[in-house]
Amino acid sequence: MLLPPTDTKILARRPEIIAALKQIVPDGVVADESGLATFDADALSAYHQTPLVCVLPSDRQQISEILKYAQVEGVPIVPRGAGTSLSGGALPREDGILVGMGRMKRILEIDYENGCVVVEPGVTNLNITKAVEANGFYYAPDPSSQVACTIGGNVAENSGGLHCLKYGLTTNNLLGVTMVLPGGEIVTLGGKSGCQGGLDLLGLVTGSEGLLGVVVEVVVKILRKPPVTRTLLAAFNSVPAAGQCVAAIIADGVVPAAMEFMDRRAAEAIESYNQPGYPQGAEAILIIDADGVQADVSHAVSRVTEIVARCGGTTVEATDEKQRARIWSGRKAAFAAMGKLAPDMLCMDGTIPRHALPKVLEEMAQLSEHYGLGFCNVFHAGDGNLHPLIIFDVMKPGEFDRAEAFGADILRLCVRVGGVLSGEHGVGIEKRDLMTDMFTAAELEQQGRVKCAFDVRGLFNPGKVFPTLAACVEKGHIHVHGAQLPHPHLPRF
Amino acid sequence: MSKVVNELELVEFVRAARAAGSPFEIVAGATRRAVGKPMCDANGGELAVLDVSGLSGIVKYEPEELIVTAAPATPLSEINATLAERGQRLGFDPADWSALLKSNGVATLGGAVSCDASGSGRLRHGGARDSLLAFRAVNGLGESFRGGAKVVKNVTGFDLPKLVCGAYGTLCVLSELTFRVYPKGACSTTLCLADVTPQVGFAALRKVARSALEPGGLAYLPASMMPGMGQGVALIKLEGARVPLQEKIALAHGLLGDGLHEIHEDLFAAIGCGEMFAEAEGDVWRVMIAASDAPKVVEELNARCWLGDWAGGVIWLAAQPSQAGHVRAVAASVNGHAMLLRATPQSRASLGIFASQPPALEALNRAVKAAFDPLSLFNPGRMT
Repeated sequence: MLLPPTDTKILARRPEIIAALKQIVPDGVVADESGLATFDADALSAYHQTPLVCVLPSDRQQISEILKYAQVEGVPIVPRGAGTSLSGGALPREDGILVGMGRMKRILEIDYENGCVVVEPGVTNLNITKAVEANGFYYAPDPSSQVACTIGGNVAENSGGLHCLKYGLTTNNLLGVTMVLPGGEIVTLGGKSGCQGGLDLLGLVTGSEGLLGVVVEVVVKILRKPPVTRTLLAAFNSVPAAGQCVAAIIADGVVPAAMEFMDRRAAEAIESYNQPGYPQGAEAILIIDADGVQADVSHAVSRVTEIVARCGGTTVEATDEKQRARIWSGRKAAFAAMGKLAPDMLCMDGTIPRHALPKVLEEMAQLSEHYGLGFCNVFHAGDGNLHPLIIFDVMKPGEFDRAEAFGADILRLCVRVGGVLSGEHGVGIEKRDLMTDMFTAAELEQQGRVKCAFDVRGLFNPGKVFPTLAACVEKGHIHVHGAQLPHPHLPRF
Repeated sequence: MSKVVNELELVEFVRAARAAGSPFEIVAGATRRAVGKPMCDANGGELAVLDVSGLSGIVKYEPEELIVTAAPATPLSEINATLAERGQRLGFDPADWSALLKSNGVATLGGAVSCDASGSGRLRHGGARDSLLAFRAVNGLGESFRGGAKVVKNVTGFDLPKLVCGAYGTLCVLSELTFRVYPKGACSTTLCLADVTPQVGFAALRKVARSALEPGGLAYLPASMMPGMGQGVALIKLEGARVPLQEKIALAHGLLGDGLHEIHEDLFAAIGCGEMFAEAEGDVWRVMIAASDAPKVVEELNARCWLGDWAGGVIWLAAQPSQAGHVRAVAASVNGHAMLLRATPQSRASLGIFASQPPALEALNRAVKAAFDPLSLFNPGRMT
């Protein structure tokens, strides 16, 4: 994976850049080798790069000053939340300033009357829920990394989670953001009214992977905790039967709060990791949450139980809150549990139309054989979001490259059956070079022009998301050159 | 008037318009033409019209995938009926403004998306932006492209579907739309709390909004809009299968006390589309605010003909043209937005759909528009 070439002129100016940043944030510049080592990767840990310098601002004015400086001096910017991106979105650049948002972690306002919370970007996802749960509220999107990941990062990645089948992604739970544009201007998009008075730039910025600016304040919706939640574990002796069951549940008009699939290998690894009590010997397991008022949940549970039986499966229900928590803690620890199977793992993230599941599973098995690498599947079944986990050993020569090639083939397969490269982890650097498999040149150019509307100099998170760097040239109107198919000699992900 | 019936013809038309530098108005069902600034060509003359009503019909409906794809000029009535046959509904609650705007046209899916026209259900189901998964369109360079994808969960590349919602056709000409659909609640009922002031009524609605009842509509109507109910009435629409609905009604009684009673008329269809203002004199506005500001805002607006929907998050009102500055100022004072929905061409020309934005934001809006339509061929000047 190649990033745009390092600008050696910027490297030569490092002392001067550090001094300038210290003028802006006297107590928040990290420039020593050991300090910078902390920031040299995100959760796509196969890739490391020490940043030119890391700055930790504590308010929006400082960020505005930093960006103005970077703009004038032509220095790339990489924003970073908690560094939990699985797609390399926060991977630093050797010639770029890493802007860490970790110090901006205040909860500014809890507004129960309007069902929203105003926070700084460095607040963790889970801390929003913790701040309001005593009053019976919660913040719905729940990515597996919710203990650590920040809301600013969630906005950048449009994070999902286990419950987005019913409650949506970050974008559906966001009312507004205040952000600093690459030129240093501070703008507010939306707010408690949920209206922007112009184009829906809030929707555009959400999921833009740090390419358009730095978010400095976020207004999220909070929801009343459903009065009743019940959790079912359904076991099947074949994968297609489980897939068929998922389709039948949806077709029946039930929208479970969550519906998770795992294959035998994943379930066994999890079971031996933290013993959540998954049924033994099943080829596929579904975890299904139904929530709402009592009668709604009873209705859903009885429908689901009947449909599971019709599809040849068996159901057990969690009997109490403790057991529910155990079942979910198993699923949330899926990635850690895979460590039991092999030293290293790549977690993929594509979405497919659900009807394509049997075909995709079959072809994945063939690919596994072809590459000589094992894999297992966890899968947000309700919305078709696949997370195949490829297991390998980086110490064995060639295995990492084979794992990456296997992963890329899986994602191409997702696109071929009408799906997408990423359901919730983002493109980052991980899937960047596959974008041409999903979008035409005209489509990538269109997105490139949108990027240019925010970031004319192309300084924000360069080398991420788009396979070629678009140059924005003003010629009476904004126009992009060079967003062609990537050069064949570029090593593919 | 020119007419296209498929995407290829659309591409050819836009390329020709681009070569000639001729902007045009995009018209499908022709129900919302009177919204936004009146448009003209570069010399102030009559603007050319592109009739896209031929881009109509459901392309693919996959109930088990929770997805429907349709051409943009598909009538709302057609898509709603097709989904209802399978017990489903669109992910958002599209509003037909025909009665309010006294148009004889046919309200379409593309029109509702482009004007971000959502009814009372927006409170629970979100707007078009929350369920438009993908679209195909032709940009100002005459290139067909797509945004988003036909799956219910996708974060690959920029989320362009959000941008076309509420862009009033100023970014591109749509040729196909894909939506997420949801199961439709089997039954619904409306509960009413009569003879309450706006203060008390809106407080009751907010209480329901932050409960777990998932209400399908929460509106307050003053006596002037619904006579015979004392000072005013708070309306609560609940949805669900038969037994859960009974439970929700009981819970609502628990929340709001004995004053609640059921009414057997679905007033929300008329509330959400502005039909109640069809005969009102003056300009018709929608003021979008934080719900808790509603009592203060309605007092300051001091309109005779008004109502609050979305638990107070939107105030509809009719006001004399001379009041326009006041309406905008009241909205701005609570960080809200006053949208001018119905007015004379003169008022629309001077007021625009929304108030002007802070300079940096306005520049950004212009730059994003130019990223799609650099020559400003599509609905020129309608939004700004």
